[in-house]
Amino acid sequence: MRQTRRHLLAAVAISATFAAWSAQAADPIKIGVSGPFTGGSSSMGVSMRDGVKLAIDEINKNGGVLGRPLEGVYRDEEARNEVGVQVAQELINKEKVVADVGFINTGVALASQRFYQEAEIPVINNVATGTVISTQFAKERSNYIFRTAASDAIQAPMIVDEAVTRRGFKKPAILADSTNYGQLGRADLETALTAKGIKPVATEKFNIGDTDMTSQLLRAKEAGADVILTYGIGPELAQIANGMAKLGWKVPIVGSWTLSMSSFIDTAGPNGDGAVMPQTFIQMGNTPKRAAFIKAYQDAYKIDRMPSPVSAAQGYDSIYLLAAAIKQAGSTDGRKMRAALEDLNEKVDGVVTVYDHPFSKTDHEAISANIPVFGEVRGGKVQPAHADDVAGDKAVRVKSKS
Amino acid sequence: MQILAQLIVSGISVGMIYGVIAFGYQLTFATSKTLNFGQGEALMLGALVGLTVQHFIGYWAMLPVVLLFGMFQGAVVERLGVRRAVAIKSEAGWIMATIALGIIFKNVAENIWGRDALKFPSPLPETPIDIGGVRVLPMEVVIVIGAIVLMLAVELFNRRSIFGKAVVATAADRDAAGLMGINTGLVITFSYALSSMTASFAGVLVAPVTLTGATMGAVLGLKAFAVAIIGGLSSGLGVVVGGLILGITETMTGYYISSGYKDVPGLVLLLLVLSIKPSGLFGRATIKKV
Repeated sequence: MRQTRRHLLAAVAISATFAAWSAQAADPIKIGVSGPFTGGSSSMGVSMRDGVKLAIDEINKNGGVLGRPLEGVYRDEEARNEVGVQVAQELINKEKVVADVGFINTGVALASQRFYQEAEIPVINNVATGTVISTQFAKERSNYIFRTAASDAIQAPMIVDEAVTRRGFKKPAILADSTNYGQLGRADLETALTAKGIKPVATEKFNIGDTDMTSQLLRAKEAGADVILTYGIGPELAQIANGMAKLGWKVPIVGSWTLSMSSFIDTAGPNGDGAVMPQTFIQMGNTPKRAAFIKAYQDAYKIDRMPSPVSAAQGYDSIYLLAAAIKQAGSTDGRKMRAALEDLNEKVDGVVTVYDHPFSKTDHEAISANIPVFGEVRGGKVQPAHADDVAGDKAVRVKSKS
Repeated sequence: MQILAQLIVSGISVGMIYGVIAFGYQLTFATSKTLNFGQGEALMLGALVGLTVQHFIGYWAMLPVVLLFGMFQGAVVERLGVRRAVAIKSEAGWIMATIALGIIFKNVAENIWGRDALKFPSPLPETPIDIGGVRVLPMEVVIVIGAIVLMLAVELFNRRSIFGKAVVATAADRDAAGLMGINTGLVITFSYALSSMTASFAGVLVAPVTLTGATMGAVLGLKAFAVAIIGGLSSGLGVVVGGLILGITETMTGYYISSGYKDVPGLVLLLLVLSIKPSGLFGRATIKKV
């Protein structure tokens, strides 16, 4: 018995020295990057990945972090919960990543995050918007989940504000898909409308893959709707815009940020013009920092229009935040990194905003309600809906202190 | 009144799509008592091949190419998946085989065309026509006319041509047809080819109105299967009527009851038909002799 214990101790000691030795050589800091790189939400996933790559390359060119280069470990979770879970386990146990960025789909994020939380590895959600994501583990001693995207809790009131307060519509109809994303969003929209004392004249549902929206649109039309509020994803949103054109009925579409998806813009074509949605980033070089980012992205990936500028920008910023946290923590220990993120001393100059203490112990959301502006689809591109929103000193909107 | 008319028109165009796919189920069932459960995938392949081909030679010139491709694809399914199972009188072999082939086709399509939904350029203007307040897209008119023409052509071929008579004879009594010197194996292959051909044709018809992608066939194939059951698998007229019934009930329920329950009446109807007239509204009851 004693013999075996001594052997065990020796083995532990040897492996410990080995681990220490291997860490001291300038081996890369591994960061997991998980998102859907194929399938219906791939335009967001791929843009996010490309933004992340850009940031990692820039940081490595400038000497890396703590003298070590960053290395992204990219995994496609196909927007499927079960694949997301497998990817999380692989990244944690096999690839030994020190942190993870990504997640486009709220469902995948909720299914996968648990593993990082248990392994005490920080996660920065850079695209998924489901409200509960950053608070899934808020009741536990420490929460390892952070976010650099605008949550639905911010977006739904913004949508209602834009439609009701700014544009003066009184009879909104809600069209939401039957997924979690759509139905949670619908509930958020209804809450925000109630707060303004307005009841939607119609609340309609559609399925993913539906191609005929006639009955939903006719109901909204007959109820006298003067604006349509949407919570869905690109292809079906395009069917809504096309269906309205078919019925010869034109009222404005105001909806969640997915109205900026290229599948909506391309499929709806001219019928999609005028749709407005909250955006944290619009492909428009209105600050030198943003102009440089857009140019670098276009040069690196040989394209003109970014498939999803919001995802690219949020992905890019999430890496800089992570790098700052590693620098401040002085190590890649999960607990120290989390503590550093919750009290980040360095002002990180990102492309979405300037992050000045973006997170705290209780607030893991980097984006506050004042940061996103409304984008509008015009001529196959997302442009600012209100030019004065992004003019002058409003170009960079900084998180309000709570 | 106008709304009712609009709902019926939309229901007809959706229902016609279901009908033409269900017609494909009926074709193979008539000759071999088997179904191609990959019918939705045949539709999807037709649409994707059409999308690639029309890029080079335009929409109308692409149609014959897609029809030929569909026939070839159907023949492949029959040779690989159905022939052996039918030969050994396996009850379930062909079910598994056609489902498996459907999955394989879907994965192949994902690898070739990617997993994104693609826009299929419309060959006709996308501005709706206004007929007495009812608005309809030119492409929807083409869907309805195209589906009817194709089904009439297949029926006419079966009734008038000598080869078609062989198909009818095989459908009536396979063993007797074999004794009369008809190559029933070839007839079954041919019926699969025709069946996939109608599916491919349906694919290129609906693609400009919907979106094109590897998963587009799944929902449509399933709905069409329900239609085939409602209308009756042994009746060509039945599946068309079944398609129209399902299409119109869907849009009507969506409007008059709630869009959340759009799919429910169709399924209730399916259950009713199965319990009251299992051979379908227009089906002939067949007695299986053991």
